[in-house]
Amino acid sequence: MLRTLRGYTIYGVGLTIVLALMIGGAIYWWPSFAENVTKLKVFAAPMPMLGDMLNQIEQGGVSAYVVGQHYFKGGNTVGVGGAILFAAGAIAGEAHRGTMELWLGRPVSRARLLSERFFGGLLVTCLPVFVSSALIPWMLGWVDESMSFADLMRCSAHCSALLGAIFAVTFFWSAAASDPMRIIFVMLMFCVFQFAMYMVKTATDYSLFRVADIEVYMELVLRDRFDWRYVGPLLAVIALSYLGALRVFARRVP
Amino acid sequence: MTTAAPSPTADRPAGGAGKPGARDEAQRTPPGPGLIIARGVTRRFGAKVALAPFDVVVRPGAVTGLLGPNGSGKSTLMRCLVGLVRADAGEVSIDGVPLVGDGTAVRRQVTYAPGELHLYSELTGREHLAFLLRARDRAALGRAEAIARDFGLPLEQRVRAYSHGMKRQLVFAAALAPDVKVRILDEISEGLDPSKRSELLDRIDAEARAGRTILLSSHHLGEVDRVCARLLFVNAGRLVADESAAAIALRSARRMAVDWSSEEVARRAAARLADAGAATGGDPVLGAEHCVAEVYVHGARTSFTLASDDPRPFLARLESARDLPPPRAIEHGRMSLNDLYRDLYGVEGT
Repeated sequence: MLRTLRGYTIYGVGLTIVLALMIGGAIYWWPSFAENVTKLKVFAAPMPMLGDMLNQIEQGGVSAYVVGQHYFKGGNTVGVGGAILFAAGAIAGEAHRGTMELWLGRPVSRARLLSERFFGGLLVTCLPVFVSSALIPWMLGWVDESMSFADLMRCSAHCSALLGAIFAVTFFWSAAASDPMRIIFVMLMFCVFQFAMYMVKTATDYSLFRVADIEVYMELVLRDRFDWRYVGPLLAVIALSYLGALRVFARRVP
Repeated sequence: MTTAAPSPTADRPAGGAGKPGARDEAQRTPPGPGLIIARGVTRRFGAKVALAPFDVVVRPGAVTGLLGPNGSGKSTLMRCLVGLVRADAGEVSIDGVPLVGDGTAVRRQVTYAPGELHLYSELTGREHLAFLLRARDRAALGRAEAIARDFGLPLEQRVRAYSHGMKRQLVFAAALAPDVKVRILDEISEGLDPSKRSELLDRIDAEARAGRTILLSSHHLGEVDRVCARLLFVNAGRLVADESAAAIALRSARRMAVDWSSEEVARRAAARLADAGAATGGDPVLGAEHCVAEVYVHGARTSFTLASDDPRPFLARLESARDLPPPRAIEHGRMSLNDLYRDLYGVEGT
């Protein structure tokens, strides 16, 4: 328990710091970005998707810039990478190190051990998004801008649903496998492929990251409500992955 | 190279589905305090049979040794007993608690020390004990620390600085600390130096004398035989022998081994000895009255069991067997359990 808590704390604090530094740096450069967005659009002309993003930021102002930088860029890169790295080792890491028998040999049920890791991991994957988002209003003060705290929390919840789904799918695989490196490699490659698809205009609607891009986040900000069309299926993926992991883990040989 | 000569007097088990006596006992014995009962426990890993239907009853107040070569099924049996590996068939109860689900209820009644030794290197010894003793009685951690201190383990150091033997002692301290009636210890003395092994076995012996049920496994008979009152010998997932240590000692006392100049002579001698053991008549020189049994050849050595503890009549007859060259060496009553099992059951103990 102590070991797990220590690992979770280090991971959670580390992810929070990285996300905060990324959005802090982005906000610091916001005035310069806003001044040069027209030139950037010329520069991005060969890539229609990048051009679209710049258009959205130009129209949405600092809110679009923040959601693009923090949730689309930070969440979909650092957040997704962190979720995969963390989930891949959660169970498979025990098998890989040879410590699974020691871990399971105590009088604690498998369901409880797995649930602790699953929900603990889910928490430290999602909590840094909320914590770093909570700092944004203060950071925006550096450049005399502002953004609604409620909008940020809504976007954080949406971003967390995607990160949670990726965490959960990776965790399910970890519960069944013994080689965390293979899981990490395949999941990261999958996400890179999905990101590449997103950047191709004709394929973008088939990309996983279409559910968490600037357009979707800006709708959350402008409409002032949660969009369950995206979050509902992501929550279902989380629930199914958890139940699947429980089932696989129950019969797993250490 | 070890080969066994065909012998009409050999009593090796046929290698069927376990020992019928063990099956009957397991069926007859109701679950009760301190008892480990396995009935028809079976486990396959793909095509490999790790445990054939395995029946055994282990009683409190004594150390029971589960012995056998590597890969014989000892660890799989122990894992099945505590619910770490789900048996394909069969029933288990420990200390009156039936094994159901993932075995959490059973693991509350028993401490289990795994044979494979991989610890969390980033934890200190004390943190590791706390990890291992999660969900145990509150005083268990204090007791474990006291045992670890007795072993001289530096509990403030990270486990990565521990030697193999120190790690083994740490796991042992955690296995000995909880106040439960049953302890299952897999390869617990493996990798320890003789003095630490002796210390550890003394503690195990004391636990058994205090009325606890101890089931410990080893692939090295000589490491654990001094504390075991009962020896279960496992091979290919089957119980091939279930004997008291006293009975084994008696057989050992009657066992004789003769070293010859060559394997050919050893085989010739074995044939004569087997003939001597035949029911009527037998070899006129070596004599049937000595009832030579369990005759085996290993290289240039012939080993066999005499009918009595006194080898002198047989030695006198052997001297008169003119067609056999003089033996190079004769050993009597001093055979290790390892040699004995190799002879009797045709499997290597180490």
